[in-house]
Order: sequence, then structure tokens, then C-alpha cells
Amino acid sequence: MRSTFLFASCVAALSSFASAELNLSQPLLSRQVLPSTFRPPQVFKNANLVRTTNLDKAYPRETINVVIENIDAKPQSKYYLPFESSLLSRVGGLEVRDKKDAEKGSFKVEVVGFDAESSTEFYLIHLPTPLAPKAQQTLSISYSVLSAVVPVPAQIGQSDKQYVQYTFSAYTPSAYLTDKQKTKMKFPNGDVPDYTTLPADLNTEKKADPQKQGSTFTYGPYNNIPAGAEEFVSVRYEFTKPLTHATLLERDLEVSHWGGNLASEERYWLTNQGAQLKNHFSRVEWQKQSYMNPPSSALKNLNLPLHPGAVDPYFTDDIGNVSTSRFRPGKKEALLELKPRYPVFGGWKYSFRVGWNADLNTYLRKLATGDSYVLKVPFLEGPRAGEGIAYARVHLRVILPEGATNVKYSTTVPLVDSTTSVHRTFMDTLGRPTLELHAINIVDEFRERDLIVTYDYPWTAGYRKPIVLALGLFAVFAVSWVLGSIDTSIGKKKKA
Amino acid sequence: MSTPLLNVWEAAASSPFYPPVSKNQQFTFGFLLLLISLVLVTVFSLNRSFINLPIIGVPASLAFGFGAVYMICAVGVYV
Repeated sequence: MRSTFLFASCVAALSSFASAELNLSQPLLSRQVLPSTFRPPQVFKNANLVRTTNLDKAYPRETINVVIENIDAKPQSKYYLPFESSLLSRVGGLEVRDKKDAEKGSFKVEVVGFDAESSTEFYLIHLPTPLAPKAQQTLSISYSVLSAVVPVPAQIGQSDKQYVQYTFSAYTPSAYLTDKQKTKMKFPNGDVPDYTTLPADLNTEKKADPQKQGSTFTYGPYNNIPAGAEEFVSVRYEFTKPLTHATLLERDLEVSHWGGNLASEERYWLTNQGAQLKNHFSRVEWQKQSYMNPPSSALKNLNLPLHPGAVDPYFTDDIGNVSTSRFRPGKKEALLELKPRYPVFGGWKYSFRVGWNADLNTYLRKLATGDSYVLKVPFLEGPRAGEGIAYARVHLRVILPEGATNVKYSTTVPLVDSTTSVHRTFMDTLGRPTLELHAINIVDEFRERDLIVTYDYPWTAGYRKPIVLALGLFAVFAVSWVLGSIDTSIGKKKKA
Repeated sequence: MSTPLLNVWEAAASSPFYPPVSKNQQFTFGFLLLLISLVLVTVFSLNRSFINLPIIGVPASLAFGFGAVYMICAVGVYV
């Protein structure tokens, strides 16, 4: 009997391991497929291009400011931006704005690919107004590259400094001829032990390449670089901070009109992409240095700044409640300080869930016209960390009250997919309409972006829950009366 | 940057959503309604007649329906 129980518990334990592993298939990129003979028409040239690579965070952030010029005879509005296929699947949050008129918002951007196994794919940027022949426009293209830095050496001691390497092309990849260009690198500190040096004759000014200035390096300037030219260089710099990477974030927002509540829950699958431990983890060494709080490649804590008014927070993982958390409600923000169950070193994983409630009145407004409502919620909340956090996939679900119809949404976060489904939970008869939004390769800079949802919710739909319950109890009354009035006596009925 | 839906949100600034019963009143309301429902159920069970079905059964059912919704909200399951 005991062995049966032991076997059953082993099976249960193994199955929970199996279910903890995620099915991470290819990203859900919807793309326009072009024939393999396609080459971007040479209708533009880049008059001047300055790329700034910011390596302050765990993911490189690229900003390309480029003056484009139409060299064709007709007005043109399609500008192609090439990426290696392997790189394109890791590029996130690509946004293009007019540098001189940033207020206009970001341009429409889509991914186009080849039908064949091509090494190059493109982002197609649609200029809102076609650029006239010989006219110029300054674009500001910004994006982040996920999983782009690699720890070198790949294994370090527990309290050693961590160095990471970033490899990129010194010539900014472009589908057009570039007259003049340079790349500025901003490192988190001046400790850059290794970097590729390019021959001075490539450089226009015939100077040593790169030029160093404190923690900033400059590759270039280079003149007349043809379309598709690449010159790979690597830099290795100190980054003794965790490379926190969420392989998946599931975020649920549940709207309750009866309770006047917005319930948020976030489920994280985190991994630290930093250097792995050379030896076993030493608790003694960890505890000895914990008072000094030196920089470490391990993920020690996560701070979630929640909106003011957040209440009832919880922090659980596969084992159960994690007691090493603190909640500091405040007027400006309600800070939820989490400490994972163990320091997350390079190559280690940690998955957990956090949740909280908030009053609905700061997020939901009723429209003057009929029974329509508008909901404004942050697309992403999540931890705030100096070294940044990258999310490979974000699944956001907005669970609306049962009976809500005509659901519309708008957000400035680039999405790859959106669907509506039905979520069934307590006291539901038909289930709640749920808006599901999917985004890939998002970084924590998108924290402040809002999601606005409008929906119609007639008052009759609101009364469905209590009326269904009331009908249920009334049926019990009716049945009890019917059953009670059945004459089950034996013999002749007595006449009054 | 303004989008049509952001304008909709801004236009509705004067009408934030407040539920009919606030969060800290939910338990009182739910408990009271369930208590009324219990009393009426007891009364009905003592005198099951056809006339009592609408007179006692309907208010008891309605009190139970609304009471149960407020009680489940009061205990933290916001439906």
C-alpha cells in the first residue's frame, strides 16, 4: 500500500516537472511573404545615419537616426529595413517616428519575409506621407535586441565580475546606399577589456577605429557604404548584473462591475541568461557578502511598483506562498518588494505568480452614450530594475464582465496577435468575453504604455448572475411545494 | 499622442464607474440579504402553500440571488 502511494507521488512529482516546462514554439509573427527574387527597390539613399547603441541594460537598445532622401523620380513611401532572420526574431518594440515631428506618433511598420529560406528579412516602414523626389526626411528608428549579449567567460565564480559580449555589424545594416554613417556605443562603465579594432583606412577620417571617450566608443564615420554591407565587430564589457529574461509572462486583468474591482494577476517564467556558476553554490559565501550588498550576477530581488490603491497582494510559486516579500502602500505608488526563494544565478530559472486588487473607479469610466464603458489599464506592469527585464512573450488577457459586447481596444504596444475568447469562472452562465493580446520581444520600457478597451454592457446583462441564482432558488421552492402537495397517504381520502 | 479611444477616455473623465454597493459595504449587504432569505425560506418551509410561493418565494429568491453575489464579492472572489 505504502509503495503504491510512493509510486503515485513520484508520478505526480514528475508530471509537475513536465508541466513546468514550457512549449516555446516559434514566435507568432504574422508576415507578408515576398518572392525570393525580391530586392528592395533602390529608391532611397541614406544621406546621413547615426546609430546609438545603449548597453546600459541587459538588452542592447538601438536608436538609428537617419536622413533619408528619395532618389527616384516618383514619390515613395515604402522604406525597407533589413535584418538577419535569426536577429529579426529577437528584435522587439521596433518603432519609427519622424525625428523632427515626434508628436505625430509612430509610423505603420510590418514584417515582410521571403518564401525561401532566406538569411535576410525586412521590416517595411510605411511613411505616412509619400516623400517627394529629392526630398529628405529624418527618421528615428528605435528597437531592442533580446538575448543578444553572451557572457564571456560562460562560467564564473559566485562573487566574480561578469563580462558580456555583444556582436554586431559596424556598418548599420541597410537596404540602401549610405552616404555617411557612424555608430556610437554607450557602455554601462569604462571597463571594456576587449573590442574589435578596425583598420584606420576604412574610416573616413583615417583615425583609429573605434574612437574611445570614457564609456562611449564610436565606430566610424564611414562614407559610401553600399546596401547590405556588413563588418562584424564584437565588444566585451563588464556587466555584473543579472540578465533577467522572461520566457513568458501571462497577465490577467479581470473586471468586476458587481465588486467594483480590477483584479490583476501576473505569472512569470524567468531565467537569468548570465554566466553560470563555475563551482557549486556556496551558501556561506553568499551569506557572508550579503551585508555588503556587492554587485552580483544573481537575481536577488524584484521590485514591482504598483499603481496607488493596490491592495491584497500575493506572491506564490510552485511550492506555495513565498513569505519573503514586503508590500509598501503609498500615495504615489504601492511598492511590492519580492525576494525569490533563492538567488537566481546564470542559467537558473524561477517561475512565480503575483496578484493584487484595485478599485475599479480609477480604471473604468462610463460613457455618456448608453451602456458603454471605457477601461484604461497599463499594458505591462511588472518589475522595475536598473538592468532591465526582457519579455520574450507576453500574453495579456482582459476578462470583461459576462454579457459585454462590441469590444474594441487600442494600444501603442506592437502586437502580433489578438483574439477574443470566453473565460468561464464562478457564477457564470455563458462565460465572460475575454480579450487576448499577444506581444513578443517586449522590454520593461513598455511599462508606461496603456491599453484602452471599450465595451457595451447593457444593464440587463449585469442582472444575469443574481437572477439566475434567484430562479434556481425559486425552482427549489416550487418543487418543494409540488412534492409537498402530493398525497401519499394510504387508504381512502377522508372527506372533511 | 492621441488616438480615438484615448479621446473617448478623456471625454468620460467626469463619470468614473462606481458600483451600487461600495467594497466595504458588500459584506453587510450580502449578509443582510442572505439572512432575510434564510428567514423567508424558514417561513415558507413551515407553511408550504400555493399563495406563499409568490408572496414569500419570490422575495426570498431575489434576496438570495443578490445576497449571494455580494457575499462572494465580500470574501474576495470578485465576480
